Amino acid sequence: MAKSMLLISRQSPWGGPGAREALDIALAGGAYELPIGILFLDDGVFQLLPKQQPAAIEQKDLGANLQALPLFGVEDLYVCRQSLRLRSLDGQPLSLPVTPLEGPELANLLDRYDLVITL
Amino acid sequence: MATLHLLSQSPFASRLDSVLRLLGPHDGLLLCGDACHALQPGSAPQQELERLPDSIKLYALAEDVAARQVGLPERVKTVDYPGFVELCTHYAKVNGWL
Repeated sequence: MAKSMLLISRQSPWGGPGAREALDIALAGGAYELPIGILFLDDGVFQLLPKQQPAAIEQKDLGANLQALPLFGVEDLYVCRQSLRLRSLDGQPLSLPVTPLEGPELANLLDRYDLVITL
Repeated sequence: MATLHLLSQSPFASRLDSVLRLLGPHDGLLLCGDACHALQPGSAPQQELERLPDSIKLYALAEDVAARQVGLPERVKTVDYPGFVELCTHYAKVNGWL
């Protein structure tokens, strides 16, 4: 049985390579049917905002990679509700179906996985 | 002679707050490098660490504490590099907050 892995993606979409790298890991793992979950935390929640225009800063859209997650079998998608609330995004439409977690639910999520990587 | 201040970093960044939010009741936290400044006596981060339940173990890398001359609260245990490795094997998994 392959080890399960939780990716904690806490970087904003355009502040550095972290957001894209986390998605690349998830998609590669998903392609090999590894059990992978993603928790969007801190500025990572900004990745989930719809209708971003990265062409304005000559970046490629992350949206396609995000939309590909369920197609690659990566369907355990979570978001930290506190991170959303701090950024006034709680209740806003997001580009993917994500399960909001808060308080002890977050530590419980980490407990369920064999490995955790934070990017 | 007014100044134009340029800001390009996210205004929301605090790793310590996020780590504290995700800590489980039996987790440990090892401070190394500049994270040792969280032990500064009387500072807000140090007080937050003191408020953690006793079941959460706190460690700091001895040489980083010594280099920064920060205080060492009673509940924080210092470890050297072999101790660091031992801790990594003691816990089921390790999560590095880069």
